[in-house]
Amino acid sequence: MDSTHFETRPRKKRRFFAEDSSPVVQSIQRYSSPPAASPQSPPKEVESPVSIPDDGETGQDGDENDEFAGLLQAVVGRVSREVLDALKLRSGGDAQRAINMYFDRSWKTAAEPTAPLRQPSLQASLTTNMNRHGSDMSNAPMLSKPSTPLNPILKSMPPKRYIGSFGAIGWATKSGTGMLKHEEHVGIERTKLREPAGKRRIINNKKQDVVVRFTNNRGEEVGRLENDFAAWISSLMDQKVCSFEGTCVYVPDRVRTGDTIYLQLRCYMLRSAFDKRKFVKPDNNRSVSLFAEKESQDEKDLRLRQVALVKLFEAINLQPTRANENAEKYKRQGLLQAAESAENNEQKSKARNGATGEAGSSPASESEEGEELEQDQLDSLYKKAQSFDFNTPEMTPADTFAMDLRKYQKQALYWMVGKEKDESLKHKEESMHPLWEEYEWPTKDANNDPVPVVDDQKMFYVNPYSGELSVEFPRQEQNCLGGILADEMGLGKTIEMLSLIHTHRNEPARDHTSHTVHTLPRLPKHSVDVEKAPYTTLVVAPMSLLAQWASEAEKASKEGTLKVMVYYGSEKSVNLQRLCCEANGVNAPNVIITSYGTILSEFNQVSAMDGNRGSHGGLFSVDYFRIILDEAHYIKNRQSKTAKACYELMATHRWVLTGTPIVNRLEDLFSLVRFLKVEPWSNFSFWKTFITVPFESKDFLRALDVVQTVLEPLVLRRTKDMKTPEGEALVPLPPRTIEVEKIELSQDERDVYEHIYLRAKRVFNANADAGTLLKSYTTIFAQILRLRQSCCHPVLTRHQGIVADEEDAALASDLAKGLADDMDLGSLIERFTTDGEQDVNRFGAHVLKQIQDEEHAECPICSEEPMVDQAVTGCWHSACKECLLNYINHQRDKGITPNCFNCREPINARDIFEVIRHDHISPTDNDNIRSDNPSSGTQQTPRVSLRRIGITGSAKTQALLTHLKHLRRTSPTTKSVIFSQFTSFLDLIEPALARDHIPFLRFDGSMSQKARAAVLEEFRSSNKPYVLLLSLRAGGVGLNLTCAQRVFMMDPWWSFAVEAQAIDRVHRMGQEEEVKVVRFVVRGSIEEKMLRIQERKMFIADFGSASSLGMMSDEEKRIQRIEDIKELLS
Amino acid sequence: MALPKRIIKETERLMAEPVKGISAVPHEDNLRYFDVTIDGPGQSPYEGGVFKLELFLPDDYPMTPPKIRFLTKIYHPNIDRLGRICLDVLKSNWSPALQIRTILLSIQALLGAPNPDDPLANDVAQKWKEDEKGAIETARQWTEQYAKP
Repeated sequence: MDSTHFETRPRKKRRFFAEDSSPVVQSIQRYSSPPAASPQSPPKEVESPVSIPDDGETGQDGDENDEFAGLLQAVVGRVSREVLDALKLRSGGDAQRAINMYFDRSWKTAAEPTAPLRQPSLQASLTTNMNRHGSDMSNAPMLSKPSTPLNPILKSMPPKRYIGSFGAIGWATKSGTGMLKHEEHVGIERTKLREPAGKRRIINNKKQDVVVRFTNNRGEEVGRLENDFAAWISSLMDQKVCSFEGTCVYVPDRVRTGDTIYLQLRCYMLRSAFDKRKFVKPDNNRSVSLFAEKESQDEKDLRLRQVALVKLFEAINLQPTRANENAEKYKRQGLLQAAESAENNEQKSKARNGATGEAGSSPASESEEGEELEQDQLDSLYKKAQSFDFNTPEMTPADTFAMDLRKYQKQALYWMVGKEKDESLKHKEESMHPLWEEYEWPTKDANNDPVPVVDDQKMFYVNPYSGELSVEFPRQEQNCLGGILADEMGLGKTIEMLSLIHTHRNEPARDHTSHTVHTLPRLPKHSVDVEKAPYTTLVVAPMSLLAQWASEAEKASKEGTLKVMVYYGSEKSVNLQRLCCEANGVNAPNVIITSYGTILSEFNQVSAMDGNRGSHGGLFSVDYFRIILDEAHYIKNRQSKTAKACYELMATHRWVLTGTPIVNRLEDLFSLVRFLKVEPWSNFSFWKTFITVPFESKDFLRALDVVQTVLEPLVLRRTKDMKTPEGEALVPLPPRTIEVEKIELSQDERDVYEHIYLRAKRVFNANADAGTLLKSYTTIFAQILRLRQSCCHPVLTRHQGIVADEEDAALASDLAKGLADDMDLGSLIERFTTDGEQDVNRFGAHVLKQIQDEEHAECPICSEEPMVDQAVTGCWHSACKECLLNYINHQRDKGITPNCFNCREPINARDIFEVIRHDHISPTDNDNIRSDNPSSGTQQTPRVSLRRIGITGSAKTQALLTHLKHLRRTSPTTKSVIFSQFTSFLDLIEPALARDHIPFLRFDGSMSQKARAAVLEEFRSSNKPYVLLLSLRAGGVGLNLTCAQRVFMMDPWWSFAVEAQAIDRVHRMGQEEEVKVVRFVVRGSIEEKMLRIQERKMFIADFGSASSLGMMSDEEKRIQRIEDIKELLS
Repeated sequence: MALPKRIIKETERLMAEPVKGISAVPHEDNLRYFDVTIDGPGQSPYEGGVFKLELFLPDDYPMTPPKIRFLTKIYHPNIDRLGRICLDVLKSNWSPALQIRTILLSIQALLGAPNPDDPLANDVAQKWKEDEKGAIETARQWTEQYAKP
């Protein structure tokens, strides 16, 4: 813009760079620098050479030393001595009042009958000036002509400036006659005149003092304003935003206490109001650890002011001349409502917290404060943020980058490089900050009389969300040289980021051919001594992804073009400051990969060293070229130490990667924005006022719109199902089939299940009858958990640590005492814990031969040929396993001792042996079975072995094994992934796999980083048909398992989305073959019901927008969950 | 209800490889219901007779034994006037490994070797114990009278 005119620069800057300005301007600033101090205080003003009449006349006769006159004339221009005297008389020597009186002409209508002679003419000259200025929208040359261009007089805002007038109602506090006359000037006072200052009340007193008094010409209190007006007028006056003057419009001749008096109030904006902003915005970027989450006094004042300003503009009917189009949608009424509801909330929380709470919500309650977003709201938010322009230019990555990028990835690169380089931002058209509105100063008052104007300040700006005021153009600042890359999982965020690392980098100075060397000025060393690391990008990722980052970085780079370092565990011994500094540019690592945990622990160390970053020599001791937070929802809780630690990291460019910038609360986004240091959103008060509060007061559309304005410039998000304009998928992925396999429990499992089911139901019914469902929610939930576990494997229900509630303790003690009630469960489960495989050598060779011969024989019971899962009795008679078990159960049901179908020897279910054929094992991987599985007797791998039934335990593991064996036979190289939410279940699956000689790997949260990396690497690179056992929790995020083509979900989760995310580990970009997913669900069990609930929830999210837009309260949600449980137990 | 594979296989086999002296033909409208004939074994009072029986396979067959009853009047200590048979494999000694064929063979064998110590028809058993010759004669007469084709 026209930067040649220094006066258009932000006032704030001038304060700090005074040398830029002329001495005159400096003095202006000196004048306005104590903004909190009342501008009415005369001694300050008289020092100022600023206040010179704006008609250009300078000379002043004999009154130079008269403080009053000087002050007055400084504002109103030169006046005659008569006028001065009259004014002095009327105002009682108060220059402030005198000025007001002069402008509203009340001094004339007041007691003094004789009007000064010069007054009209001056008025006229002023009028012409004003009119000209008002009509001529370009800078009125007339005004600036008489003075030099730099004449500060015209540039300065007077201590107060007329904004509008409105009618108000007051009531008399005194009785008497002649107290007030029609047209008499009325002073508007906040506190009682001449009241001892000690009696002043502080604003934040419990009961807000809003009394606004008005006085007559003689300065006597006449009455008070009606509360409707006083409520907001008082805040405006208290916060030095406005001052008011009144004229009596109607008053009864004889006033009695309580009589209504009509006033016309003129409102002036005080200059101090426009300074306020600097003080309200707490500079808390540097005081993270002390970051105050509560609504501060500042915040509260801001809110009061917000309400008051909106009401004022309503009263004086001032409309914005320019406003953000989004902002226009938000009615003022909505604003008021929002602020008021915040007030109410505060009252409530105060009431709850008793006398102790000021604005009092503890950090803990604060963290739960943000309401959760419903799925459809999230969807609509994302939809807006996803307006991805398919015509975005592409950028080819640097030639050191070794991978091919897809089109949309090149577009991402273009976007990211653009974000990082300031140039693109510099040339950006300056636009008004979306939250501000522009207003024009009125040039005429209510009587159509002109009011003084200030040159170059035709407009002022109001932020109706916060009540902030400014005379400077509020530009939308974009000082964040980074952003949020929120592409959906599988689109290759990591690759995109790596291409950025390659493409936008500084080259060490040694490389003379390089012309991209940034001349990064060395910062003056301050106490903490942070070293610049101009060649280094820091990647922060969850521990499980460190290895993946490292290997992807290697893969994406041409040999020797990128130095990657994993900063974790033992590698931490290096001094990063020395390693990464500019001087060491040639050897400095280009990428340092570390974990959130490392950040946190170093953060703690640094804070223990009183924040001495430099001497620590770790992650916090350098100022990186770029920081990338992967899976950034790790810091979604701004209260968490990890988040706070991340805020403290220093870098030129900041990026966050996440597939879900908002997990379930809008506050989740705040933390990201805070990390990115996007002003002003990184200020929580600001955020809260604009987003949290409106959202919580159900003004979703507005809150979401605001969020969108935050997101839009920051976020790049594409989804997998986005289509190019040509209708092509962004990433064509091979098909994926999901099949639900219904599992039949064995009788024994069924017994355990029923046992637990009945118990859960009993607890539920007892609580339902007693009406304590909500209270005993957790107990019931624990029961449900156990029920789900019993679907997986009955042994799980007895696993320590999982079952920890009282009832189980009781059960355990019952068992110990041998009490009958739970005996059956104990013994039932015992059947699953019997150990060991039958020693094959114990059987005669002929037995094995016979069994082997019978392999293709018909089942004597069902005539199936060959037998399905051949099994033998203790007397070596073969039949299908199921037939055999059925028959035993049949006999047991009839109360007879089971005996062999063939020889009638008494038999028992535990003496049934499965015939295991190891034909799914190719001879080569006999030695590949994991060595830490000391499965005895399998050294020479018999072709057939016998296994006691019940060892592999549950129906689910059996089904899984059947699938895996089948897979081995049909597709011997396919790798599979098995997910369960119970690691203890994985523990049970492991030995079963080992027994069947299926090579497997294990990945869960309890493993060290090294071990995880090794597991992933082995799984990926080996050509063995590995099975990877993953816990749903540890494996749900980030991992890339595209080398597998089969997914087995051992147990359903409450929402399918979580399962889908796990499935997407395999079915994501890079997957080249069809992916088959099998979800195991026990028939006729709670799991089937869970599926139904899953479906219903999906349905609600998809179609129930109308009903779910009205958000559910916590209470309602609980009730909903209880309903779910009711359904589960029905 | 679909017929289990086992019943189909047994039926097929009964048709394809009939046992000498025994026939079992399922009803067309109920494949679990069989018309059975058993020839009286040689060297027995039942020789020359053709005995009709009915056989029904219950739902949980082969977990439970088939239900079998003589339709032809027969004088036998282990078969009562209603044609019910006292045979362990049809009761406690049933095993799912047994089949229609084996059961019918057992019944045929029972005809050749009556067991009056485990009687079902008390009067017949009594007679058999007290006057075996007379009993056999009566049996032969009954066969002559009722079981001639």
